[in-house]
Parts: sequence; C-alpha cells; structure tokens
Amino acid sequence: MSDNLDRRRFLNAAVFGGATVVGASALGSFAPQAAFAGLRPDADPHPELDPSLPDPNFAEGRITGIDGAMLLVTGSDKARHRIYATSGTSVWKLRPATVDEARIGDGLYARGVLLGDGALAADAVWLNIVNLTLYITSVGRDVIHFDHHGERVVGHVVPGTTVAVYNGTPAVTDLTPLKVGTHVQVIGAWRPDTNEVDLATVYAVA
Amino acid sequence: MASEIDTPFYGESTWFCCGNAWGPCGGTGHGACGTCNSGSLQCAWPNLSDACFSITRPDRCGRTGLLRWGCGHTFQITSRCNSATVSVRIADCGPQTDLFCGEQDCCSNGLCARDRLMDLTPAAFSRIASLSAGKIPVRVAS
Repeated sequence: MSDNLDRRRFLNAAVFGGATVVGASALGSFAPQAAFAGLRPDADPHPELDPSLPDPNFAEGRITGIDGAMLLVTGSDKARHRIYATSGTSVWKLRPATVDEARIGDGLYARGVLLGDGALAADAVWLNIVNLTLYITSVGRDVIHFDHHGERVVGHVVPGTTVAVYNGTPAVTDLTPLKVGTHVQVIGAWRPDTNEVDLATVYAVA
Repeated sequence: MASEIDTPFYGESTWFCCGNAWGPCGGTGHGACGTCNSGSLQCAWPNLSDACFSITRPDRCGRTGLLRWGCGHTFQITSRCNSATVSVRIADCGPQTDLFCGEQDCCSNGLCARDRLMDLTPAAFSRIASLSAGKIPVRVAS
C-alpha cells in the first residue's frame, strides 16, 4: 500500500473522524521543508493528469471565509475551494506558522489530498507567499525599494526573520552587500492589497 | 558541445505565478503561450522562441545548446534533494537565466546544480518541494 493512500485515509480520519493528528509522525514530519524530504518519486496516487489542467490536489486563491480549521478560498479562476487544515498541516506565513494566523483576504496556495466531498485536506498551506525577481532601486535600513516589471514594490526587513543568501552560501542576516542596480530573488509575504512585501529570504549573486 | 544538447541535464528551478492570480501576480496574464495558470502543472522555458531567448540569454552563463522547445512540450522535472518528480508542460518564457549566472544551489545530500534553467508554476513546484524553498537543484528530462 502506497504511502499516499495511507496519507489519504489518515487525513480523512482527521477531518471526518475527529481523530487527533499527532504531528503527522505516523507518516513523517510535515514541517515546511521536511514535508518534502522523504517524498517518494511515485508518492502521488493519481495517474499523470494532463499538465495543462488544474491540479486537483492543489488550490490557489484568496481566503474569503474561515470556519474553524476550514479555509474558504476563491481562486483566480473564480473556482471555490474548501481547505481543511489539521494539526498535521504545515503552514507558512513569512515563517512557519499555524492556521490560526490565516486571515480573510490572505492569498493562499495549498497542496494536499482531494477528499471524497471535494474539499482539500492540506498537507501544506502557504499564505501570501511570493517569489519575485526584483531590481533594487534603493536600500534603507529597514526598507528596500524594488522595481518589478515597471511596478514599484516595497520590501520590509523583518528583524529576526529576513535573511540573505549570496550565491548559495548559508543564509546570513547581513543585507549590506545588496546594492542598488542589481537583481535579486525574493521569497516574502505579500501584505494584502498593497505593493508591500515582508522579506523572508533575499537571494543575490554577490 | 554543451551537455544540454542531450537531456537530461541539471540546473536550478525556481517558481513563478501566472494567470492573473492574487498579489503581485495580479497583472501577469497567462504567459507567452496564453495558457499559464498557477494551479496547473506547467513551466517556463528559456528557449521557447527567438524572442524569449533574447531575454533569458542562458548562453551568457555558458549554458549553450539548450534545445528550442515550443508551447506544450513536456518535461520530467526531478528534485535532486528528494527524487520527487513532476511532469510539466511549457506555458511561458523564463526564467531570466542571465541575471543569476553561476548561481549554485545545493541539497543537504550534497547534490547541487548551477544556473536557473527552469521555472515552475506553484502547483508544479509544490509537487517536489516546499514553495518557501524558492529554488532547488533539479534534473530536467525531455
């Protein structure tokens, strides 16, 4: 029996059976990075779908309602999604987080297992995450201004969170090597309905 | 002759959003092929067309020999970190390889890859890695 069939039954029980998901330890850690560390090449139970069709085990959109651990999401294609987050679901909101930190209006990506009732039991939820290639136009102490395809983006340095990675070396908190007139890649959390992003990781070729 | 003439080859993969999605993706449209959506298993390829290549310029990173593939072509992308695999179809032009020439990414298992040669939609990237990773070393097979 594949790991993913076990996971589907596990999540079904957690959502519908009232079972407590104890850290997902039965199937391995679901910490944001570790969730993918032991992924088997054939982990997904679905036969290969037409890649141009929406992946049924993935959802994207904005949160329009929250009912306990269930997130109601409207996709950019107007599709409506119901996403269950259990205690085994890894959540990211600028940093590892919990589903309690989700807010109406947050942008969302979620990957999990499609349940029989059409809801998605989430293995992982990313809130407001963006991955942008940006051009640095000015650098302040706590704010970096960027250009993104002609649009202005304001990046906020978050003490204790924002780090930089220079050419694949370990992450550091020192942002002084970032220079005006260079391109960087930014992983961050969008502040909904603004042009502002809280910076998680800045990748640069220094 | 560059190794990319014969797939598979190795490079970094990032992820990008498309399809008029939320946030900074609000005005991105559906990509160069007109079909790109963040929720589909798709990718951007740096040698989609002459116009695309003139923007991405992988040759400036010494990555000559990337084959020309058009919209709808299918790749098998495998993470070098966990061997997870996803099939994706080309739906856009990207990434902008020459902005990050020589950049290297390594897994905790010591396997690495250099240069950004693949860009996946969030649905595709999340099949093989956490979106918070941002970029990972991958094997690309056609």
